[in-house]
This record gives sequence, structure tokens and C-alpha cells, in this order.
Amino acid sequence: MLEVMTQGPKVILKFNESILKEIEITQPEFTIGRRPDNDLVIDHAAVSGHHARIVQVQSVFFLEDVGSTNGTFVNDRRIDRRQLQDTDVVTIGKHRLIFRDEVTNGSPSGQPKFRDLNGTMVMTGQKLRESRAEQKVGIVQIISGRTDRKEYKLTKRLTIIGSQAQATIKLTGYFVPKIAAMIGRRGEGYFISTSEEVKTIHVNNKAVKGQADLKDGDLLELKGVKMYFYLKGPNQP
Amino acid sequence: MKLAYGAKSDVGLKRTQNEDRFCADPRLGLYVVCDGMGGRNAGEVASELAVEVIHKHVLEAVLNGNLPMVGQYDPTFSPQTNRLASAIQLANQVIHREAQDQPAHAGMGTTVVSALIAGQVLSLAHVGDSRLYLIREGMIEPLTADHSVVGEQVRRELLTEEEADRSPYRHVLTRGVGVGATVEVELGEVPVMNGDLLVLCSDGLTIGVKPRDMLHAVRCEWNPQAIADRLVAMANAAGGEDNTTVVVVSLGEETRQGVWRRIWNRILRWR
Repeated sequence: MLEVMTQGPKVILKFNESILKEIEITQPEFTIGRRPDNDLVIDHAAVSGHHARIVQVQSVFFLEDVGSTNGTFVNDRRIDRRQLQDTDVVTIGKHRLIFRDEVTNGSPSGQPKFRDLNGTMVMTGQKLRESRAEQKVGIVQIISGRTDRKEYKLTKRLTIIGSQAQATIKLTGYFVPKIAAMIGRRGEGYFISTSEEVKTIHVNNKAVKGQADLKDGDLLELKGVKMYFYLKGPNQP
Repeated sequence: MKLAYGAKSDVGLKRTQNEDRFCADPRLGLYVVCDGMGGRNAGEVASELAVEVIHKHVLEAVLNGNLPMVGQYDPTFSPQTNRLASAIQLANQVIHREAQDQPAHAGMGTTVVSALIAGQVLSLAHVGDSRLYLIREGMIEPLTADHSVVGEQVRRELLTEEEADRSPYRHVLTRGVGVGATVEVELGEVPVMNGDLLVLCSDGLTIGVKPRDMLHAVRCEWNPQAIADRLVAMANAAGGEDNTTVVVVSLGEETRQGVWRRIWNRILRWR
């Protein structure tokens, strides 16, 4: 059994763009109205005593108008009953309610609830993201040989060297292979890989077959083209 | 590059339903494994939809070069890799909409690991904890990192692989396809060579079978299907906790040298 982990859905009550309160919906039937016996009390003349309610059906929420005088609106449309989705704006009188359901969109709040630790779950609302430090970028400078440019910035994950259309470093001489080699980016570094057409290339005058990591200042040679590889800081000119 | 594949999906020993789905299309060079989640049979619905939508989108893109991309285009990757991301983004929309329209399917989602091979370039895209391994010259290397709480902790070196395997939170994913209105797809692009072997798998395999054992299975068998069968059998032998799906793709011609090397490996094993 796999399961999606949810954080409690909630409504944010706003009046004239200021947030009055935030209430988590914990009961299967959540009532809204002017009278104090409601789960969310909005004390305003335009709000009926019992105005509307939010009903949970499994993990889906519906908003129902329970016979109010001035009506209930979702995203400026009058409704009787309607399924609520994350960030829907509910208008009751002059008040606005923003419905938030963490399953569909995440902004962190509260502790995640673990229902069943043996089933797979998706945690939403909490972003564990690596903060990628400013990376150095690889540059290839052509020393000699026929290419379409003299210098290339290796911003792509995989830079193809060859004559084919998708190649970034385009070899323009005669009888050049479609793919002569590929330079890949992996984490902080770069590596070069030989192709099916060109089985051997030279890095610092040493033959390379297959794959080899590239270091700052490496000299590459393939198919009569000599290149200089170096790393440049993100803010370096 | 010539592609051959073998695939097997098994319910395992503890579950009653198989919520894994896969797709393998050597003409397109497309291989996908999805592990669905969601109560009752919603998980199957999600993984089934994902596999279908991704396959269809990639196929349509081949037939129609102007097919619009879904989601953001990442210029640091090739059009082919962006196409794979687009397919997953589209699958996300379809599953998410279905989950909202059908109360019984609310909250369903799926992992996706996908590989698209064109010539000597492998495009990969994944969401969740289904994985892709590259086996080259007797070495195995993971090409994906799990989008799970423990996976992120391993990436930040807060946890070792072994600790992660024992953690009670190992099933908690940080991303899933169909869970939100959009999804963040992790992309990759690597050169591939003749003789490479790719293994796409759901977590049913990786719970019980370690990469070095996978390598052993690869050495023992002759073709991709036999490898897939053996890996699934190993997952079940290790407890069969979850559904296990394995897609094994071999790249390039099965050269004579390769055959002789395998025979030699067998001889070495018998000694």
C-alpha cells in the first residue's frame, strides 16, 4: 500500500487584504456562519447565521452553501456545491477565504502526519532542496583546427563535438564524424567521452579510450583539432 | 545503436496487487518504469496512465516535430531530453486531473524513471525513488538519486546508504507524478557506448538487492531477459517486500568478444 502524506488543509480568512485568521480543517464537516456555534465565525451583517460548510469526502473537500441570503462564491462564481482546490478563493459577504490543501500545493505549515510508515508516501509542502553553490563553468578554446567558432562555453549537460546538427562544437573540416566526442557535466566537474566513430582521443598527449575526467587546463586533441579546456568562475570576466 | 531489452514485473511476496507498470519500445529507444501509489487500486491507475501518456507523447513527437512542449524548456539540455521532461509533465497533468475528478482516485501518484536513447546519447528523467543504473565494463553506477527524504539526506551526506536502507522514513517521497499541479522532473544526459547495460527498476528491487549483487546477476546471465528474470527472483529471495519491476536494456551489438568474455567469466566462477 502506498499512500500520499498530507498536511491538514486550512482556510485563511481575509478582510480587505488583511489576514484575520488561519484555521485548519480537522472535522469532516466544517461550518461557516455568523452564529457562534459555527467552526468559523464571521461576525458581519452580510453573513448568514449558518452560511456555508466544507464537507470532506475521503480526501476531497466540497464547499456547500446552506441556504445563505447573500450567496457563496468560489473564484467569483456563485455556487451551491463545488469541489475545492488549493488556492481557491471563497467569497462570503465582504470576507474572503482562501482554501489551502497541501496535497496540491505546498507551503510549509505544521508537522506532517505519518499515517502508515510502511507504505510509500509523498511528502508535500516541504522542500528539501540542495542550494546549489555558484558553479564554475567549463570553456573550450580552439587552438588549431577547423571549427565554427573559436571559443565555447560549456553550459549544456552534454556538449557534442562533431559535424551533426545537434553538435555544439561544430567541426567543419572534411570527412569529420557526426560525433567525434562528447563533453559531459557531472556535479562540479566535466568529463570527456569518446564516440563510436572516434575510439581514441588525446588528453595532454595521452590516449584516452572511453571516458576521462577533465581538469582545469587540459589540452584535448581529436580529429586534427586542438583545444584548451579551462574552468571559469561565474563572475570572472 | 542496436538495442535489446528484457523486462519483468512481479507482485512480490507481501502485496496482493502490482502497482508497478513499465513500457519498453526499442523503436523509439524509450524505456519507462513507474511505481504507483494511492489507496485501493488508484496506484495502478496512476502508473498505468503515466506509462501510456509518456509513450504516446514521445511517439507523437517523432511523428510531428512541431509538437508543443509541456512545461518549461531547459536550454541546458537537448530537445530530446526536454521531450522526455515534457512527457512526464503531461502525465502529471493527466493524473492530477483524474485524481481531482474521481474522489476514489484522490491523492494518487506515481514515480517515474525513464530513459530515451538516441544514437550515442542517453536522456534520462526521473521523479521519486525508482532508479536507473548504468553498467559499463564491469562497473555499476547509479544515474539517478532518489527523491525521498532519506535520499536527499544521503545527497547531503547526513546519512550513509546503509543507514538510509534501515530508516523508517525510507518510503517517504519528496516528489511524485500526479501529486501536485506541476512536478519537478530531474533530468540527465550521458554518453552511452557499445556494450553498456541499463537497468531501470522500482524500489522493490533496490530494497533487497544491492548494486554489487546486481552486477553479479549481470555477469551470470546471457541476455537482458534472463538478467531481468534473475533480478526479480533475487528481490523475492530477499523478502519480496514490494512489487518489483526491472527493465534491462543492452546497447550495441552482442559482439563475439562479449560472448567469449562471458564464457571466460563463467569459467572463472566455477574455479
